[in-house]
Amino acid sequence: MTATVPARPATREEIAVLARNAGLDLPADLFDELVAAYAGIEPMLMRLRRGRDRADEPAHVFDPRKFMPVED
Amino acid sequence: MHAPATAYATSTPAGSGDAALTDLGIVELGRMLRAGATSSLAITRACLDRIAAHDGTLASFITVTVDTALAQARRADAELAAGLDRGPFHGIPYALKDNVDTAGILSSSHSKIFADRIPPESAAVAQRLEQAGGVLIGKTATFEFAIGGPSWDLPWPPARNPWNRDYLPGGSSSGSGAAVGARFVPAAIGTDTGGSIRWPAAMCGITGLKPTYGRVSRRGVHPNTYSLDHCGPMTRSAADCAVMLSACAGHDPRDPGSIDEAVPDYAAALSGSVAGLRIGLVRHWYEEDATAEVVAAVDEAADVLRGLGAHVEIVTLDPLRDYVDAKTTISSVELFTVHERDLRTRPRDFSKRLRGRVLPGALIRGEDYVQAIRWRTELTSRMFAAFRRFDLFATAGWLAPADPADPDGVDFFQKRQLVTMPFSLTGLPALNLPCGFSAGGLPLSLQLAGRPFDEATVLRAGDAYQRATDWHLATPVLA
Repeated sequence: MTATVPARPATREEIAVLARNAGLDLPADLFDELVAAYAGIEPMLMRLRRGRDRADEPAHVFDPRKFMPVED
Repeated sequence: MHAPATAYATSTPAGSGDAALTDLGIVELGRMLRAGATSSLAITRACLDRIAAHDGTLASFITVTVDTALAQARRADAELAAGLDRGPFHGIPYALKDNVDTAGILSSSHSKIFADRIPPESAAVAQRLEQAGGVLIGKTATFEFAIGGPSWDLPWPPARNPWNRDYLPGGSSSGSGAAVGARFVPAAIGTDTGGSIRWPAAMCGITGLKPTYGRVSRRGVHPNTYSLDHCGPMTRSAADCAVMLSACAGHDPRDPGSIDEAVPDYAAALSGSVAGLRIGLVRHWYEEDATAEVVAAVDEAADVLRGLGAHVEIVTLDPLRDYVDAKTTISSVELFTVHERDLRTRPRDFSKRLRGRVLPGALIRGEDYVQAIRWRTELTSRMFAAFRRFDLFATAGWLAPADPADPDGVDFFQKRQLVTMPFSLTGLPALNLPCGFSAGGLPLSLQLAGRPFDEATVLRAGDAYQRATDWHLATPVLA
């Protein structure tokens, strides 16, 4: 396993940058909500397993037949 | 602590005519319909009367479709009288969670965003239940868009728990759980991304099945997390779940997540026996984090299954937290993607709870999302490997009884790990069924999960357990 990413919890200023990059232009009270909520998610991101083999596939399969138009 | 269910079974008075019909499940009602002992119209009116009398304080319904229900019930009676029998769901009243589209009927997802939304087409699951002759009684409350709840800042209040209105029914299929638990309807459809069928089933003392991913079409169901969304039955018993699943399962080429796999006769699989079944008891998911009452009740349920001839053996799988972390990371990103336009332009039209659960998804990096779905592969592969030794897994259905209905209460995500999430992430069929009561009279639940598309074995074990116990027969008193 690789080192924890991110290495430490984000600061308010860093969360503001992430929010801006995500196109979120939140008023102050909603930004406070986001900071509080992100604190609940961030530990999960820090615990994500990393360092897999390059060829390890994610749990997804794209079957192009599934997107063919279907007659009603 | 675990008093016999009969101690709570003070239901509608015996011999109270149509009111007694609401005490019955799908199988019994179907038997009466075919014997000419009642009519779909009588059952439907009994349901509507009970809703009118008691739902004012339970708030399990957003819309009660009185005219539709009466018309469909009359049609079912006429068809049955004419010898046209659409199967065991014919003439049976049911409810749909309000994130399930219904043509011409409000489909709000319990959100201000969709407060006036009347879709032109019904969801596939609604179409199948209508074709099976079901009688749509109404649309039920949910957490906002099946994630933001319980919320007190929406156009409709959160549903309450029929066992004690000071408590919540779980979620996100909160109204479906409360409506079946309150005996307003014998059956309802819920949706489940991380436990949203099974949690309210556990809190409301009913039986809820999350089928295998791809088993029931999600076309026309508002998405929560594309790669994790399921919908399925919520009923009184495993036998009733079998009937409702047969009515709504099957391949849908218009749902990219649907899988073309034959649908067996689930009711025919209910042999009443678990003799020889190998059940892995995943005790480490609940033994430390659950309440003592839950631990005792689930252990006792395992003993019942053992006594019925199953080989129950403790098994260690990956830590519960790993499944929760991977699932929540995936969901957060997909949820934000679903709601990004409205969250950017009108965030105050969502509940605070929804914003808190969905907005952080905007900040998660692409690499983290892919790492989470790679982790999903690993966790799923390891769980499936354990099926070499077992036919089923058993664990707690939820780690505590229902929470108080407190607008200022701690978010449930922060209280305990969600023991339903492993089978969400792995897409396996999982059944929650009642297995006891807390000292405060709130239901407790057992969870059984099986191999992909082996709902039949899951339901068989649940049905065998319910033939040997009476927890699922308990009925709350609605004053």
